Amino acid sequence: MAVKEEKKVLGVDRDKFRMFMGKYGIGVVLFIMIIVISIMEPAFRSAKNFINVATQVSINGMISYGMCLVITTGGIDLSVGAQLALVSCILGQFITNFGVNPFLACLIALLASTAFGFLNGFFVARFNMFPFVVTLSTQLIIRGLAQVISGGNAIPLTSETFQHIYSSKVGPIPLPIVILFVVTVIVYIMLHWTKFGRYIFAVGGNVHAAIASGVSEFWTKVGAYTISGLLAGIAGIIFTAKTSSAQSNIGIGYETDAVAACVLGGTSFAGGVATIPGVVMGIFIIGFIYNGMNLIGIESYYQSMTKGAVIIGAVLLDMVLNRKKG
Amino acid sequence: MKNMKKGLALLLAGIMVLGMTACGAKEETPAAAPEPAKTEAPAKAETPAPAATDAAAPADSAIPADVNGDGKITIGYISKNLVDPFHAPINAAAQEIFDQMKKDGKIDDWTGILDGETDPNKQIDRADECITKNCDMVIILPAEATASDPAVTKMADAGIHVIVVNSKTDSTDKVAVSYCGSDDVYAGELLAKWVIEQVPDGGKYAHCQGIIGNSAQIQRGEGLANTMKDHPEFESVGDFPCDWAADKAANVATDMMNKYGDDLKAIICDNDDMSSAAQRACNDAGRKDIVCVGVDGNQKPLEMVKAGEMGATVLQDGVGQVKAAVSVIDAIIAGQSFEKENIVPFVLVTKDNVDQYLK
Repeated sequence: MAVKEEKKVLGVDRDKFRMFMGKYGIGVVLFIMIIVISIMEPAFRSAKNFINVATQVSINGMISYGMCLVITTGGIDLSVGAQLALVSCILGQFITNFGVNPFLACLIALLASTAFGFLNGFFVARFNMFPFVVTLSTQLIIRGLAQVISGGNAIPLTSETFQHIYSSKVGPIPLPIVILFVVTVIVYIMLHWTKFGRYIFAVGGNVHAAIASGVSEFWTKVGAYTISGLLAGIAGIIFTAKTSSAQSNIGIGYETDAVAACVLGGTSFAGGVATIPGVVMGIFIIGFIYNGMNLIGIESYYQSMTKGAVIIGAVLLDMVLNRKKG
Repeated sequence: MKNMKKGLALLLAGIMVLGMTACGAKEETPAAAPEPAKTEAPAKAETPAPAATDAAAPADSAIPADVNGDGKITIGYISKNLVDPFHAPINAAAQEIFDQMKKDGKIDDWTGILDGETDPNKQIDRADECITKNCDMVIILPAEATASDPAVTKMADAGIHVIVVNSKTDSTDKVAVSYCGSDDVYAGELLAKWVIEQVPDGGKYAHCQGIIGNSAQIQRGEGLANTMKDHPEFESVGDFPCDWAADKAANVATDMMNKYGDDLKAIICDNDDMSSAAQRACNDAGRKDIVCVGVDGNQKPLEMVKAGEMGATVLQDGVGQVKAAVSVIDAIIAGQSFEKENIVPFVLVTKDNVDQYLK
């Protein structure tokens, strides 16, 4: 090593700066975004708008947590968008057409999505199939099933009890935010504080080492995909309550926003690296991109381009600052 | 080693610059924006300053067009999507009209084209943003009849004058101030009638559907089925979900030609992207006799009609619909009365009248 160079970035020791950015870089991006948009658009910085955004991201949030677990095991779950459709159609059929109690119907719908999550995990772990292929196929099966259940029709959900899942409030806070918060805490504890969480990191980081140290690859992967199914189910319930309509063509392409939130949050596609706080910030960055650009009035034609650039830029920044690979 | 460090430093610098440019799209505007932002902040308490220079503005604020009483007239526009050939010209027309209205001082601001992504969930989010932005009147082209309805009711509850364009949502009649659109059931009937006229002896036909569950898909299919019910000489070989996509309809065309050969007489499609692709597939297979017809009046199908490669297409005047909505807005601003329902008719376009519609 040659002469030790003393470089300073923004008046801070470079190494310290890099460490700070490595840990909180994505948070800084989020913070800057909020400040910039606030300056440009006064309507953005109202408490009501922040509550709006938090409510809006609750659907993508649920999906992203599941996606994060699955990606951390080294996989991917492309079936989540179709899961929304399935859950929606089951809810419509049971609540509107069979007159079942909304909560019981939610339970049935969650069971179905969880079962398909389990199926994904089973195929991936038991037969060592590529997660991409498995979930691409189950995506078709699940959406097809949704079409069969609904007969292709939109089923209106007039049950007020059910609509309240989206519209009711706890104090000033809409219920979806509360659900998002609770799920965030649970997933955080699960991934960062429990044995199962450590197994997920272990299987994703180095599967052979994990097996050698007695971790069950099968159950860890099955667990991750099953949880992804369950969370997609919750997202489906919120979605259906929001639109008060059950149909089979919803949720197309929703896996992309979830994947984007994960990578923004520093989840590595190579597996074994992820943090829930990172994903939370990723989710909100995606939410603020949509919301902010619309409020500022950036032409929609440029929005998806901007979104792509922000994601690549943020991930690149994060990677270089952390000297991570892949 | 030292070189490596240098390289790294360079790379780091590059990334920082990149990071800046990534935010650049956002930072550009503040450079231009500070003026209104600065003047507005102190002036806020007294009067809505930005409009005050415009002599007409104070008069405007006295008219009920300004529903939220902020002294400004703000228009929202929630599109169905930005990508369909049918919706692109509608959005372009709206863009031009509202930009002009803003320049003329008729309105103070508008949201720009908000992207609904053919997704009711996203449309509800856009509705939230229109409310946040204090819009007074919002045009919405719903993605779904039922699922997009909360977007309409939510804005109506916030006091916004909602003008629904292109297709109705469930409570449009109840809460929207006006509806400007066309009757899709009638379009389905036109499709069937054209085929019946062209193939008097009847025969087998295939039906290519849009995305299952779309109200346009449901209603056009309904009109088609209603008419065909009275014509037993026609037999459907099936309804094929093609998601409005041309390539899928072309595949159906080739598959059905293989299966039914000369018995196949017609392919009826829910839109004319599909019907033009199906017709092309038929023509390429030497089966120009198969009658393909669809709804919309997009550029390519119209050109095919003009070139004699396709018999007809059913034109839906989307731009006419959005212009009808704009005239409603004009009327509200001027304090005049307006029609609660503006039905813009479908037109059967054949070689005889295609020049009228081809740009």
